[in-house]
Amino acid sequence: MERKIEDKTILDKFLEDFVSVVEKHCKYIVVSGFVAIAHGRSRGTEDIDMIIEKLNKKKFILLHKDLIKAGFECIQSENPEIIYEDYLTKTTSVRYTRSGEFLPEMELKFTKDELDDLQIKERIKLPFTGLDVWFSSIEMNIAFKEEYLKSDKDIEDAKHLRIVYGKEIDENKIKEIKDKINKLRMKK
Amino acid sequence: MREEHMRQVERWALYVREHPTEWQQKLKNLIDAQIIIARRAYAKLAETEQGREKIRIIRQNK
Repeated sequence: MERKIEDKTILDKFLEDFVSVVEKHCKYIVVSGFVAIAHGRSRGTEDIDMIIEKLNKKKFILLHKDLIKAGFECIQSENPEIIYEDYLTKTTSVRYTRSGEFLPEMELKFTKDELDDLQIKERIKLPFTGLDVWFSSIEMNIAFKEEYLKSDKDIEDAKHLRIVYGKEIDENKIKEIKDKINKLRMKK
Repeated sequence: MREEHMRQVERWALYVREHPTEWQQKLKNLIDAQIIIARRAYAKLAETEQGREKIRIIRQNK
């Protein structure tokens, strides 16, 4: 179900333009709040969270230059070496906007552990969203929101996804992911 | 209050589930309006004294 042009939000268009550059360089996934919003969750957001494969410096600089050429800018620095050394390799995210625009923002980070690698490996396109974009799985998003992020907003996002997907959701998979979150992110 | 809010989340999620081609246009207005209003506010702030510096601080603190 492709979404009609007139139904696409500013966030949708921003994401599709950003993705059209990123996908030429590496695998990526969109995670967290935008996943819920793309499924109709009725709340606002100023940013979209994206995880990309870890790149070496040379490859990242090529990606950054292509993003600049496509009309984006990085808030943290104009210098891709600084972005790479001072942020991405220290597992800190960076933010890109359309050049000269304050909003929306793409929050970009590298994969940081085997859980992120698994998210990339199991990435999925979600026809319900009408967007031709790779997302982390619904089970992954629900598990992270219920077990790790846990704010009121995250619990509501998870509830929304559970209702939209109903019986299609694999509860065993969610449990497996929650166990991994506890082991890798919460050191339980 | 919190319970009522969660019930509203459930009601809307059910609407989305049952109206897969209708929810998008309804939600578009809400999402676009939020971004347009925030952009307008940032643009106004940028015109004020030290506005650009304030925006820089807001962005760095996100």
